[in-house]
Parts: sequence; C-alpha cells; structure tokens
Amino acid sequence: MEFFGEVAGWFGDPANWSGQDGIPARLGEHLVLSIIPLVGAILIALPIGAWIGHTGRFTNLAINVANVGRAIPSLAILAFVAIVSQPFFVMIGLRSVASEAATIVALIALAIPPILTNTSIGIGEVDDEMVEAGRGMGMRGGQILRQVELPVALPIILVGIRTAAVQVVATATLGAVVATGGLGRYIIDGIAQRRNEEVFAGALIVALLSILTELAFTAIARAATSPGLAGQETTAAETVPSAPAGGV
Amino acid sequence: MRMHRKLALGAASLALVLSACAPGEGGSSPSASTPASAGGDGASITIGSAGFYEAQLMAEIYAQALEANGYTVERKLNIGPRDTVQPAFENGEFDLEPEYIGSLLTFLGGEAAGDPDETFASLQTALADVGLEALDYAPAQDQNAFVVRQETAEGLGVSTMSELADADGAGDLVWGLPPECETNPLCSGALEDYGFEYGSLEIESYGACDAPVAQALNDGVVDVAELCSTQPDIERFNFVVLEDDLQSQPSENIAPIVSSEWLASAPAGFADILNAVSAAMDTETLTSLGVRVAVDQESIEDVAESWLSDNGLN
Repeated sequence: MEFFGEVAGWFGDPANWSGQDGIPARLGEHLVLSIIPLVGAILIALPIGAWIGHTGRFTNLAINVANVGRAIPSLAILAFVAIVSQPFFVMIGLRSVASEAATIVALIALAIPPILTNTSIGIGEVDDEMVEAGRGMGMRGGQILRQVELPVALPIILVGIRTAAVQVVATATLGAVVATGGLGRYIIDGIAQRRNEEVFAGALIVALLSILTELAFTAIARAATSPGLAGQETTAAETVPSAPAGGV
Repeated sequence: MRMHRKLALGAASLALVLSACAPGEGGSSPSASTPASAGGDGASITIGSAGFYEAQLMAEIYAQALEANGYTVERKLNIGPRDTVQPAFENGEFDLEPEYIGSLLTFLGGEAAGDPDETFASLQTALADVGLEALDYAPAQDQNAFVVRQETAEGLGVSTMSELADADGAGDLVWGLPPECETNPLCSGALEDYGFEYGSLEIESYGACDAPVAQALNDGVVDVAELCSTQPDIERFNFVVLEDDLQSQPSENIAPIVSSEWLASAPAGFADILNAVSAAMDTETLTSLGVRVAVDQESIEDVAESWLSDNGLN
C-alpha cells in the first residue's frame, strides 16, 4: 500500500510534469516513436497486401513471412536492426537520431505482419460474387480493388492496423534500451536508479496509452465501416487470427 | 556489476591454474580429503564459483592447475550470485573460489579503494572475520572503464582518462553513459575528478557494460562508452580501454579466496600453485579468454586447459 502511495506521489510531483523528462515531453516523444513506424508500415504493407489479396499470388508466402516476423522477439528485432542500420544512419549524418531511426525501422518491421496478413486475407476473401458483379458492371481490376474489395475488406484491414498500433505503442518502450526518449525512459532509468515507483508509473502510462490506442482504433473502425457491412466486423475479425499484442 | 563479477571469477580461476603449475608441491594432506598421488598428495578440494562465465573460467583454471599437481578437485561452478555464493562459502560448502576483491569487500561491508593493495589489505581483514583468506590477486581486473574506438584514441593521441580530459576536441565527444551516472559518484563523480564538466557533456543513455552501448560505440553513435574492462566486445571491436590513471574506480582484481581451515592443513606449495596462476593473468589475457568462451563458444574446460598449457602451468 505504501508503494502505491509512492506512485501517487510520483504522479503528483510537479517536477514530473515539466521539462525534458516530464510526462508531456516523454509522451510526445513516445507518440512520435509510434506514429512514424505505424504510418511507414501502413504505406509498405497495405499496397503489398492489397496486391497479394487481389491477385491471389504469394498468399502463403506472405502469411508465412509475416508469421515468422511475429515469432521473433521484439527485443531481438530491435537489436538486429540497430546493428544493421545504425552505421548507415551515422554515415548519412543522422548521428544524433541514429538510435531513434533504428528503433523506428525495427518498429516498422514489427508492425508490417499484422497489416500485411489482414489486408491480403481480407481482400482475398471478398465474396467472388461481389467481384464478378463488379466485373459484370464493366469495372477494371483497379476499380474492383478500390470500389469493391477495399471497402468490403476495410474492417479486417483496420483490425490489422489496430493490432499493429497497439503493438508499436507498447514496444516503442524498448527503444529506451538503445538511448531513445519516450515513456520507456521511465522504466529503464527507473530500474537503473532503483526508483520502483517511477518504473511502475512509466509502465502504467504505457499500458493506458495502449488501451487508449485500442479504443481509438476501434472507434475509427466503427466510423469507417460501410453501413452495408455493419455488424460483420466481429465475424470478420474472428476469421483472421490477430497478432498477439506487443510485448517485450 | 555483472561484468565485474565475471572478471573476478575468471581471474580467480586463472590464479588457481597458475598455482597448479608451480613446481615442488607436496606435504600433508588437508582435512577431510582422500590422498591422491601427485604433488598435492591426493588432497581433495572443493572449488565453488558464481554462475557467470568469467567466474566459472577462473574456477576451472584453478581446478585444472591443482589437478595437474595431484589434487583431487570437486567443482561447484554454478552456484549463483554473490549473495548465494558467499554464505555457502562461509558455511564450508566449498574450500576455494575466485572473487573480485572490490566487490567482495563491498559485500562484506568494507569500502573498496582504487589502489588494489589497499583494497586487498582491507579485504584480508574483512575475510579473517568470516574464516576466509585471500591469496595473491591477479593483475586482471573486471571493473567499469571508459572505452573509445581505436581511431578516437589515435586521433586524439590519448591512452589515459587524464589525457582525454586535456585533449583538444574532447568537448565534441558523445558519451554513452548509464542512466544512473548523474547520481553515481563512481560515474559522474569520477568524470568530474578528471576535469570533465558532467553537466556539459553530450550524453546518450545506455546501460553500462551492455551489448547496446558497445554496439553504439562501434557504430559511431557515441564516442566514449562505459564498459566493463574484460567485456568481450572490447576485443571484438578493437576498442581501447582508457587507463583509469587517477584510480577513480574501485579495484576489482581477481583473487583466489580460500577457507582458512583448509589453508592451515593444505599441502606445502598449495598457495604457490594459485599464486602462479594469478601472476600470469592480466586484464587483456582474461578478456581474450572471455571472448573464446562467450563469443566463440569454446568450452570453459578447453579454454582453461589451453591457457594453462601455454603458460606451462599444467
């Protein structure tokens, strides 16, 4: 009980709400460390997933590659990416943000699998009759993809993006191991200095942010789903095994 | 801390091996042992160690050195961290172990100094209270150290921390320091002693002695990193350990620690075997042996044997 008093005291300390290592600054860094990789992963995985789903080619390959990606621990991906990419970032003059850049690359790698899998499967499983109907109306491949397949698969795709987002928010914490900012600093620095209340507070903020991310993307999915598809989301989500939430 | 322990253990093991090589053992057999045949008169001894590779390596080196001199050795080389090992030692569960003199002294409630002789003397006093005794310490130390890339050392023309503090261009260096450095007198305090102004250093936050900080140093993300002096990365990446010329860090030489009871009845020449091992083990040697064990995945037994044989100690 005393410990929770210390945690409350930590949150109540004005010093923890201002300055470079205050909660607003760390939260801001964490959001930057999360949003850039998520956007990057969407830009990479969505077109590839759409092409795979639309053409039906390489479906198994994509799913297997994605599953292997999921099986590797996040920390291992981060360490590997740091080794491979840090010298490059130093070379091109990004030395002061080399560890942040390496972390972002690692998080992109982490966020791609759920988006890729859900996009390709979501589009691949669009009812053949719908596609045929589109074709019968004179639509070309691109039009079928944009006007039939993508809207119908959107709920499943958004589930993939939601999974990736929660994973990225939780895992961006690990960047602190390689000297990035973000909320992970509270955990890593707190452990180093044996300030358990700070470790707990940091973990609590990350957990809350992950939950908020989940809720936000659920709301987005609801708003973005075509009225004609409403009610299908649950079913669709269940057909695609969602990736485990990001962890260490 | 982890590295410290490893180094210390390793040094202790090495010391043991060296001792074994020394000629002219013999004499009475120790308590509760079955006589064997060689110089040790078949005396049997149990060697313990903490559970990390450097400690295990040093203990194995002690073990093989003693075996080469006719001792019968029982090994307990994976006991755990110091707070498990030390009580077991004091309870008589084994007779000999490699230890880091500074960390052990601190564990026993003493205060480790930068000067190894001073630390060693304090340690002997502290050990006497718990029925233990240290033999000669090795030059090898596993302590926190500030490390640079070869090119930095050559570019700035520095080999010691004092030279780095005085070097032109030292102000442009990026430091990889642990998060607790600011509040740790052995980190920020030590840097201030050398004349660095801690508050004006450009710092990236990395745990000391961890793989990420070694990687960051190699990749050029940082220019100076706090590593452990026998960390395999130092040899892998050809880093330069800057000499701690002001002795700001507690000395962490590795020494064989023996039960006083065992020592009192030990065969003549027992201490010589271990002291010869210690004398031959310096920090660079221990680092290289650590690379073979931790990076190249050679077995501890093989590494110990080849080192002993290279040094004529088995």
